[in-house]
Amino acid sequence: MPRCHILGCPVLSPAELTSSRNHLGRLISHGRGHFPGPEAVGTRTVHFPAPAGDRLGRRSSSKRALKAEGTPGRRGAQRSQKERAGGSPSPGSPRRKQTGRRRHREELGEQERGKAACEGRRKRDERASFKEQTAAPKKEKEIPRKEKSKRQKKPRSSSLASSASGGESLSEEELARILEQVEEKKKLIATMRSKPWPMAKKLTELREAQEFVEKYEGALGKGKGKRLYAYKMLMAKKWVKFKRDFDNFKTQCIPWEMKIKDIESHFGSSVASYFIFLRWMYGVNLVLFGLIFGLVIIPEVLMGMPYGSIPRKTVPRAEEEKAMDFSVLWDFEGYVKYSALFYGYYNNQRTIGWLRYRLPMAYFMVGVSVFGYSLIIVIRSMASNTQGSTGEGESDNFTFSFKMFTSWDYLIGNSETADNKYASITTSFKESIVDEQESNKEENIHLTRFLRVLANFLIICCLCGSGYLIYFVVKRSQQFSKMQNVSWYERNEVEIVMSLLGMFCPPLFETIAALENYHPRTGLKWQLGRIFALFLGNLYTFLLALMDDVHLKLANEETIKNITHWTLFNYYNSSGWNESVPRPPLHPADVPRGSCWETAVGIEFMRLTVSDMLVTYITILLGDFLRACFVRFMNYCWCWDLEAGFPSYAEFDISGNVLGLIFNQGMIWMGSFYAPGLVGINVLRLLTSMYFQCWAVMSSNVPHERVFKASRSNNFYMGLLLLVLFLSLLPVAYTIMSLPPSFDCGPFSGKNRMYDVLQETIENDFPTFLGKIFAFLANPGLIIPAILLMFLAIYYLNSVSKSLSRANAQLRKKIQVLREVEKSHKSVKGKATARDSEDTPKSSSKNATQLQLTKEETTPPSASQSQAMDKKAQGPGTSNSASRTTLPASGHLPISRPPGIGPDSGHAPSQTHPWRSASGKSAQRPPH
Amino acid sequence: MAVGRDGFVSQASLLRLHHRFRALDRNKKGYLSRMDLQQIGALAVNPLGDRIIESFFPDGSQRVDFPGFVRVLAHFRPVEDEDTETQDPKKPEPLNSRRNKLHYAFQLYDLDRDGKISRHEMLQVLRLMVGVQVTEEQLENIADRTVQEADEDGDGAVSFVEFTKSLEKMDVEQKMSIRILK
Repeated sequence: MPRCHILGCPVLSPAELTSSRNHLGRLISHGRGHFPGPEAVGTRTVHFPAPAGDRLGRRSSSKRALKAEGTPGRRGAQRSQKERAGGSPSPGSPRRKQTGRRRHREELGEQERGKAACEGRRKRDERASFKEQTAAPKKEKEIPRKEKSKRQKKPRSSSLASSASGGESLSEEELARILEQVEEKKKLIATMRSKPWPMAKKLTELREAQEFVEKYEGALGKGKGKRLYAYKMLMAKKWVKFKRDFDNFKTQCIPWEMKIKDIESHFGSSVASYFIFLRWMYGVNLVLFGLIFGLVIIPEVLMGMPYGSIPRKTVPRAEEEKAMDFSVLWDFEGYVKYSALFYGYYNNQRTIGWLRYRLPMAYFMVGVSVFGYSLIIVIRSMASNTQGSTGEGESDNFTFSFKMFTSWDYLIGNSETADNKYASITTSFKESIVDEQESNKEENIHLTRFLRVLANFLIICCLCGSGYLIYFVVKRSQQFSKMQNVSWYERNEVEIVMSLLGMFCPPLFETIAALENYHPRTGLKWQLGRIFALFLGNLYTFLLALMDDVHLKLANEETIKNITHWTLFNYYNSSGWNESVPRPPLHPADVPRGSCWETAVGIEFMRLTVSDMLVTYITILLGDFLRACFVRFMNYCWCWDLEAGFPSYAEFDISGNVLGLIFNQGMIWMGSFYAPGLVGINVLRLLTSMYFQCWAVMSSNVPHERVFKASRSNNFYMGLLLLVLFLSLLPVAYTIMSLPPSFDCGPFSGKNRMYDVLQETIENDFPTFLGKIFAFLANPGLIIPAILLMFLAIYYLNSVSKSLSRANAQLRKKIQVLREVEKSHKSVKGKATARDSEDTPKSSSKNATQLQLTKEETTPPSASQSQAMDKKAQGPGTSNSASRTTLPASGHLPISRPPGIGPDSGHAPSQTHPWRSASGKSAQRPPH
Repeated sequence: MAVGRDGFVSQASLLRLHHRFRALDRNKKGYLSRMDLQQIGALAVNPLGDRIIESFFPDGSQRVDFPGFVRVLAHFRPVEDEDTETQDPKKPEPLNSRRNKLHYAFQLYDLDRDGKISRHEMLQVLRLMVGVQVTEEQLENIADRTVQEADEDGDGAVSFVEFTKSLEKMDVEQKMSIRILK
């Protein structure tokens, strides 16, 4: 904000004027009153009509202008007008003021002018006397509040009035003069370079001239140019404010941001990273949900054939009785099975409704684009994470100093926020302690290596063993499935073994991982990777069982197809019915139908998702919440300390939760093709688990013993997710490409393969030449070179990015070195300048540098520079000896006194200024 | 006369500050006592709140009048380009310069005002900031590490120069500014 104080009147830029007019208007108007009249052109000050007052103040920053005695011309008139306006007790609307003012001006006679001039002079004297009074403070405070508020109101009216009237009083003559001034300033700008002024003066002059030209060119533009300009400035200011508000709003709109920050402050960034991942996942699922609901389910519900119209949309007669029972619905049978949530409900009509919406085509494309979108979004977020992570990495100097001196946020005024901040500072300190310990660890490399190899060996053994166990159990279960009357254990053997493995292996891995002695961050990654490998076995058994089921159903399909045909044939051709009347069609519930393996697969995934969700919630409730309650309340009457001893509180299991989330998402990806409603269920699941887990973490978990900082990018999670996405793509692609769809359910029924729908669309709906082009594109002779080309491109881009990142690293190193050299250089230079300045020391620290310098004079600057470099290289621990030379210097520092507070500091004379201007202003109030 | 150049605040902000001053001054004494400042909620929750309050009362005085009040707050005036460019080298450095801002922060930590933040002073600040959740041993570790990081002359304490260096990358001009104090 450009500021120039003439008798304590600040001068504002037009934009600021508009906003702070209420405070400053009064001051501005006062200032204007004292400018020389139109006749005093000789001074540097130019006189402008009222709105220019603020600008004028700037022009006339020289005292000369103030002293210049203008003839009492129009100025006097304005003065008295203004006083009238300012004196009016209530601020009127600007419009009224304006007209009143105009009338007033006409009425003004000579005698009044003279009087006004006198008044003006008296005013000035008053003000001068105030200037002298400044030595005695404490006037300001005695002014009663009432008066003060009155004072604040008045200026608004007066300044508005004056600025408005100024807009009108731009006469021809004045316009010409402004034009002249603008030209002059322009010339000045052009010839500034050759003027024999010191640089500082040139700069100020140049800036003033530029501002002047900028402002008055707008004003000169046309009759209302000035107001247009002010309006523009106002809008620009408003726009800036709007942008700021909008940014605030945007951060407020990030869902669960507060919750996650809360958790982060208590549990560290590693736990928070899980919740951030969960939130991201929720976003992705929302998009998938929108895609599937908007393009498949809603069109089907709105335009497809209604429930009960055809066999695939009707509950069969045999199931009808129980179709509404809760136990049946809970298993996704009954009415739920024959609803738009599942694949089987969709009809194979090519187009539905009056929109002629091609539902089978849309179904296929949505299924493909679910995978496409997920792939793109995962890869994109991975890429953006790596981009973000290259930006930092040089803030590892002074970690603790930074935390110590700057971690508190002084804007915090809420005690709850303050508690969070305490927690987060503590956590961040703990995180840095862990990092520090890790980097300073004195370790026996051979022992560590041996232990790590041993641990990996043990874990690989575990994994192999569990893999074999799974394989063995699956084989056995295939045998059991062929046998009759197997026991409950034999039927559920696979599930039992799987859950036992899932329960015992992760803790086992964790115990073994303790051997490895990794940084907890690295340890978490290893743990994640190992449990991931274990869970893959889970996936494998599940898919295997599913595939068996599907093949069984497919084998039966042919016979069922024949039965259906025969039933219908018999129904229509049976004797004993009047031949003339056509028979009513067979009720859809009675038509025998196939088992529809797609729906069965969808139901399987649906069940798995729901049961997974329930198991997670129940584990949290029992394992975390009840345990916490038990520990908390039984601690009063127990023989040992439960909180510190054995059960204690649970820690948040990051790896388990992250993997649960990732595998769950894999299920969703696999299942969404056969159960379009699955994504909706998943959205609900993620939503509830967000709230539930947030609550559970805050209520019943304790922070990890070693709180560690999560790597800034969640890229490891993303990498696992990508892998799962790829794995879940495989079975879906397999079923689409190589299994025939059921003959009597789903949008692709009656086709040989599901992707035939593409061919059909191309043949029927596209012009023939397009079909030819597609056929040509599908030629293997073209596809194989294209794939080769892609590989080449990937290879090329990969090598380019590698070399770029190498160059990047080198440049960063260079910058680091440069900065260090510069730093030491600067410090040497700073000391030199400190010595040169001979005015009294302003603060102790300058003193200190001076003292230091006198000590260092003996050593040449280059030596001290290299010394500093050496110190950097040696690290803080060993720097003591190198810096011994400067120690005595800073040993006898004078007692520090903060600048501007001590009575003898260099600022003392100027410190009374604000008060002076304040009191002067308050006293300048025209008496009424 | 040009008060603005010396790091002081504009009229509008003065008015605003004066309002605030009088709102804080509850008995209309014309000055503020420590009690008055302790009523501010944001300071009550601040671990360094007492230090901040103390900074308003130089030399152990019991009261701060309005000029003193403004003088302390003038440290937080935003730095403008104009201030730095058109600075007159003869004039004293404005209160809102980077150095003075840093010095204000420095003296919050420098309890005994000897121009150095000793390990002991640092430990006190740490205790205020992290409370009892971290063991004493770890606190001492942190303090040692901080001193090690910042200390260049090996006297086991952080002087103002070292303090400035350790916060070199900090955007003090921006962070220690209150936008309304134009």
